[in-house]
Amino acid sequence: MRESVTLAGVGKTYASGVEAIREVAFQVAQGEFLTLLGPSGCGKSTLLTMIAGLLAPSRGTIAVDGAPVQGPRRDVGIVFQSPVLLPWRTVLGNVLLPIEMLRLGRRPWEVRARDLLAMAQLTDFAAKLPHELSGGMKQRVSICRALVHDPSLLLMDEPFSALDALTRDQMGQELLRIWELYRKTVIFVTHSIREAVFLSDRVLVMTPRPAAIGFEIDIKLARPRTLDMQESDEFNGYVGVLRRAIETGGRR
Amino acid sequence: MTVRSLGWPVMVTLGILAAWEAVVGALGVKPVLLPRPTVIAQVLWTKAPLILEHLWPTLYEIALGFLLSVVGGVLVAVLVTYSTIVRKGFYPLIVVSQIVPKVAVAPLLVVWFGLGGTSRLLLAFLIAFFPMVINTATGLTSVDEDFVRMARAYMGSRWQIFTKIRLPHALPLIFGGMKISITLAVIGVVVAEFVAAQRGIGYLIVMANGLLDTPLMMAAITALSVMGLALYGVVAIVERAVIYWQQPTDPARGGFA
Repeated sequence: MRESVTLAGVGKTYASGVEAIREVAFQVAQGEFLTLLGPSGCGKSTLLTMIAGLLAPSRGTIAVDGAPVQGPRRDVGIVFQSPVLLPWRTVLGNVLLPIEMLRLGRRPWEVRARDLLAMAQLTDFAAKLPHELSGGMKQRVSICRALVHDPSLLLMDEPFSALDALTRDQMGQELLRIWELYRKTVIFVTHSIREAVFLSDRVLVMTPRPAAIGFEIDIKLARPRTLDMQESDEFNGYVGVLRRAIETGGRR
Repeated sequence: MTVRSLGWPVMVTLGILAAWEAVVGALGVKPVLLPRPTVIAQVLWTKAPLILEHLWPTLYEIALGFLLSVVGGVLVAVLVTYSTIVRKGFYPLIVVSQIVPKVAVAPLLVVWFGLGGTSRLLLAFLIAFFPMVINTATGLTSVDEDFVRMARAYMGSRWQIFTKIRLPHALPLIFGGMKISITLAVIGVVVAEFVAAQRGIGYLIVMANGLLDTPLMMAAITALSVMGLALYGVVAIVERAVIYWQQPTDPARGGFA
């Protein structure tokens, strides 16, 4: 299997001398759904920001599709904790923002944007403004925006943590449906164990600051996954293993 | 403000005018001290050509001074946002310079720039420019950092981030600044006309004052007020059309209604 993302000896020490990330190394295969799991403030978002090219690591190298990351790249899509939708743009206009930023020409991409919105069940909302949408819908729009320029890698920084529990379950299912359609490589950051087990092919548990990978597990639940699976012994077995891994500080 | 919400202020105004009319009539106050509203209205009607003749140049200079301060204020705010030298070196000076009451500078401006329109425009600009700078700079810099990160992740250039994110984000505050500036521009031009002018509504007010023609003075003040209100209204209407994604702040909506 080809590697999509490779991190080797990546560390981050801020100018203030605070060491946020000690040393992280992992590889993500193309089309894999990888989750970084860890307590809040453990540096997992920092790691994601570095993979996105928004922040340079102090040590080590990050490569996407074999090329070292030196700044933001056009084949990466990113979803933040908040939807970050521009309030003066319609839903469609927000989805097309990366196309404009990348100067790709709106016309040919508008069809794709509308397809994505249809897939996210937002067809009727294309001309609406963000304030007319619910929290879950806004986050779905931001996922469409992250996919509109057809990136090979999707980075998600706790995208559902601001949503209520019911919406959150729904969104997880939606995300998997979209992922199975497009088969992007996904690196997903969360502090929810159940969310990590439900979504991922593989989960990396991060230790508290300075961060490192403390534990790694393949989630071999069948796909497509359903919400019913969350009650199975297999599912809860994984949850238990991960809980213990986090309790022991992510160390085996 | 909707047409319905205008009902209350209109009724209160009419009430005050009626009381004024009645009290002045009953006490027999001389028109030179305080003319009745009906007398003022009469003067407004009969001397309309004279008042309008003086109102036009004032309106022109207010509009021009206002536009100058909007353009200048926004430009300076952009410099403050993007240039460290301007922000650290000049911005504090601009802020401190606001302590000088600009009205006090009016005679000096006349000495420097003469009796022509330049000194009046300059005073209007000096007064109206500051809220534009403050509001625009606040708007440009108060963008949530997540928006900038998002735009950078999609390889947005500084120019794109400015035009597609910072500037539209600042628009509500820019319009807030414009609402303050338009009223200040009125003050600037009229004060300059008080100091030195051969025409303009401020000149008419001073002249009527010299002739002890209080009804004419008050008619001119009324005309000036109506014009100021209309200018403010134009800004508010444009604001509403431009900033379609949010409701403008309107204190008249408040309370328990």
